[in-house]
Amino acid sequence: MLLQLNHIYKWVKQGGKRVFLLNDISLDVEEGEFISIMGPSGSGKSTLLNVIGMLDEFQEGEYIFNEEPVHSLKEKQRAKLYKEYIGFVFQAYHLIDELTVYENIETPLLYKNIKSSERKALVADMLDRFNIVGKKDLFPAQLSGGQQQLVGIARALIAKPKLILADEPTGNLNSKQGEEIMELFKELNQEGVTIIQATHSESNAAYGNRIIHLLDGSKQHQASN
Amino acid sequence: MIKNYIKIAWRNLLKNKLSGIITTGGLAIGLTACTLILFYVAHERSYDRFHADSDRMYTVEAQVNMGGDTIYMNAMNATVGALTENASPAVASSLRLKDEYKPVILTNTQQPGVRFSEKDFSYADANFFNFFSFKLLKGSKTEALAKPYSLVLSQDMAKKYFGNQNPIGESISVRKDSTYLFTVTGVMENTPSNSSIHPDFVASLSSMPTMNDYKRDFDSEVFRLGAFPTYLKLNNASDVKMVEKTMQELSTQGNADATDVYSLNLLTDKHLNGRDASNTRYISIFPLIAVLILILALVNYLSLSTARASLRSKEIGVRKVNGASRKSVAFQFYIESTLYVLLAFVVSVALSVVLKPWFFGILGIEIDAAFFLNPTFLGILAGLLVFTILVTGFYPALVMSAFNPVENLRSSRVSKMGGVRLRKVCTTVQFVIAIALLVSGIIIHQQLDFVRGVDTGLNRSDVVMLPLQKTMGTNSTPFRNEIEKLSQITNTAVTQYPIYKGYNMFFVSSEQMPDAIGLPIFAVDDDFFQTLDVNWELKPEDEHYYSKSDQVVINEAAISKFKLGSNPIGESLLFGNSKREIIGVVKDFHFENLDAPINALALFVNSKTQATTDILGKSGGCLFVRFQPDSDVSQLLSQMEAIYTQYDSATPFEYQFLDDAFDAMFRSEERLSQVFNLFIILAMLIAGLGLFALATFSAQQRVKELGVRKVLGASVIQLTTLLSFDFLKLIFLAILIASPLAWYFMHLWLQDFNYKTTIHWWVFLGAGTGAMALAILTVSFQAIKAALANPVKSLRTE
Repeated sequence: MLLQLNHIYKWVKQGGKRVFLLNDISLDVEEGEFISIMGPSGSGKSTLLNVIGMLDEFQEGEYIFNEEPVHSLKEKQRAKLYKEYIGFVFQAYHLIDELTVYENIETPLLYKNIKSSERKALVADMLDRFNIVGKKDLFPAQLSGGQQQLVGIARALIAKPKLILADEPTGNLNSKQGEEIMELFKELNQEGVTIIQATHSESNAAYGNRIIHLLDGSKQHQASN
Repeated sequence: MIKNYIKIAWRNLLKNKLSGIITTGGLAIGLTACTLILFYVAHERSYDRFHADSDRMYTVEAQVNMGGDTIYMNAMNATVGALTENASPAVASSLRLKDEYKPVILTNTQQPGVRFSEKDFSYADANFFNFFSFKLLKGSKTEALAKPYSLVLSQDMAKKYFGNQNPIGESISVRKDSTYLFTVTGVMENTPSNSSIHPDFVASLSSMPTMNDYKRDFDSEVFRLGAFPTYLKLNNASDVKMVEKTMQELSTQGNADATDVYSLNLLTDKHLNGRDASNTRYISIFPLIAVLILILALVNYLSLSTARASLRSKEIGVRKVNGASRKSVAFQFYIESTLYVLLAFVVSVALSVVLKPWFFGILGIEIDAAFFLNPTFLGILAGLLVFTILVTGFYPALVMSAFNPVENLRSSRVSKMGGVRLRKVCTTVQFVIAIALLVSGIIIHQQLDFVRGVDTGLNRSDVVMLPLQKTMGTNSTPFRNEIEKLSQITNTAVTQYPIYKGYNMFFVSSEQMPDAIGLPIFAVDDDFFQTLDVNWELKPEDEHYYSKSDQVVINEAAISKFKLGSNPIGESLLFGNSKREIIGVVKDFHFENLDAPINALALFVNSKTQATTDILGKSGGCLFVRFQPDSDVSQLLSQMEAIYTQYDSATPFEYQFLDDAFDAMFRSEERLSQVFNLFIILAMLIAGLGLFALATFSAQQRVKELGVRKVLGASVIQLTTLLSFDFLKLIFLAILIASPLAWYFMHLWLQDFNYKTTIHWWVFLGAGTGAMALAILTVSFQAIKAALANPVKSLRTE
């Protein structure tokens, strides 16, 4: 078991009333799974991903990641945990505009205090793998959306995470670019990386081996491929 | 890692060039102003500290009580130094150093036709170069001033008189009442600009006993006041009290009735804490202004850098999600800030070096370039750098590192957070400083104008003073006659000294005041009153009053000082042993600094003929020349110079306009005013730039809001007002805070003046309007630009 959510509740107060963003979510994720979370806007997809990614807090419930009880960890320990095991991919890519492709991919390694020579080798491998060696000195603004997302995925993978969390990874891309990215995810999943993605699109969701439907913060039903 | 940070910092600077330039440029300007002022203040404070034993070098001062007035004298009898040295083992050495009071005429004997008038000519004991740390470039430290008629020149003077020739062994003739021949025995380094002792020529003091002017100064061997400023070097600074006691005993040994009180003052205190404070009157205000400007620049930097950083909230989110801890984000922003500060600092040092001559030119101060490398100054500069880095880096690092990644990554829009309130406070503080400086500057300027316009009892305009030397001699009569013949000249008058530059003192008593009081004396001719428009209170009845002997004219202040009757004509004053009858009273006029009320004054009036031969010619007096208001002044001066050189070829022609001499008394206020002018401009510039940049950010941040409002039907004017009003509110608040502050400090400042201007309400209104206008100008530019933008663009990017 990679992670386990038990009866997670997250709410905000609005006019004295609780508005539930996550309502009694329980979820078990095994290593090597590829999960798609579907649901309309505001259904809590991103919130769920943020909670899994430990970027966001929740009010009630248990969260066990890699046998560690996340809900009772301190902020610092949590940060250490996600730094080690989780990579993030965003809809808007979120590359740092002032850094080159090479430097963007390198960034997570800097925060892991990896030696310069080792960093070079790792980044070079990644550039090679995604066929973007020729673009390594370009800035994000000089790339197409698909290329930017490639860099975003390369950056998410560089620290060799067990889990990749992707929030609408193809949302800003055309269908062809989107397909390429999904193929890449499939490939990664086959290599053993666990992937959880949030998506609007049925066809993208179909890449996953399990689909979770969310509505107003609650899990609807589960379908397995 | 650090390399990565520096790289991104640099790219960010280049990316937002305008705001980057404003941010670092504003800081650089502030630091430059601060550096220049620190340079000036450090220099002022470093006076005389370059001497090896400056911590135990003292000047001797005597406090003398005369007729109720306390007078401080630093000139001692020739023997005082030696007597003290003999009597007290605590004294390591003593030195007499006497300056020529008037300029002397010097000639290199090989070029007899070439004469120069020199002001900084001194006589010193043989141990001059051992006592002080002035460096001797040529000649022997111990021998150079050992023999009578030896002379050491400064480097510049050696060049002036001898060119590249070796001056050692050459002769220089010194013309006073007679001509003396000195042999050059040494060349010393030019005295540094932070030396209160700065002779160009040092002659051996042992020459003086054989010089006509000074013979008498060596007559008495008693321990008392005399003609020689005397310096002591003690073995130990803690012995001051003991040595002072010894001097007191020596004084009463010489004369049991002596009441003079002797004291030792540190040489290093002479410049800043001496009796003449005109140079350094505002030395404590300058650092205050520097601090204000620094605060202004720092606040500007802080406000802009947080604004800049808030544009980078996304980057921070990304970094955090990719594993950056809060600490490493804070560190990154600290590194960036440090880099920008270093950049600003380098620019400011370069600017300081470039602007230094111009800045000190305005202030009328000369400071050796070498002082830039003075260790104390460098230390202060390093302190300033470290302080700036610490202060500027801290807050952005704190705020930026606290950004929550989830919120920042949710939308790609520019985040609104990041110290909005701080920036409001910053803008207000900036404008408080700028407006307070502006108000103060205006009031200082008004005060200067006011003081210059005060009716001082005599008419200063269109009068030039020609100080003559004894070398004019008997030629003074034809000289004056020819000057008077010039068509543009209306009047001339003779006095002993140029006005505002000094006077003789007599100790005078009256029947009502039997204790002698020090009374300033002007020896003048009868044209004095008409030439300077001095009015009579009681005019002498006899038209030829001046031909009478033993008469005196006094001013109104003297009546009360000597407790004379309301009509004192016919009463008499006792000048030492000679009694003089009061024959006239003039209305009070200022003859010295305006700081004090007008002192009592006596005028010895001579006939024109006698004054011209005796006062003007024999003793070297001063000729006042009044010309017609519309005269061609430069032509007039060259005509007068031609006449002058015809009758006195020995001394170069000198002149000074009376109103310039008067203005010279306000030099420290003038300096203050100029410094304020400069800093008002700087403050307004920094504040204006800061506001401009903030308005830019604000427009960027609210681009979506503006788009929506426009789509909903807001007009350009409404949008501009919306954007501008936020800022103008702050400026208004700044005016409210700055006005009472400025009023309070200017009110305090004006307390020091005898004549003070009133602080008008419209000064505040004017300064406020000015600041408001500046703000509207800078803000509305950005606001209009933002308001005119097509809303489709801004809304599409969502």
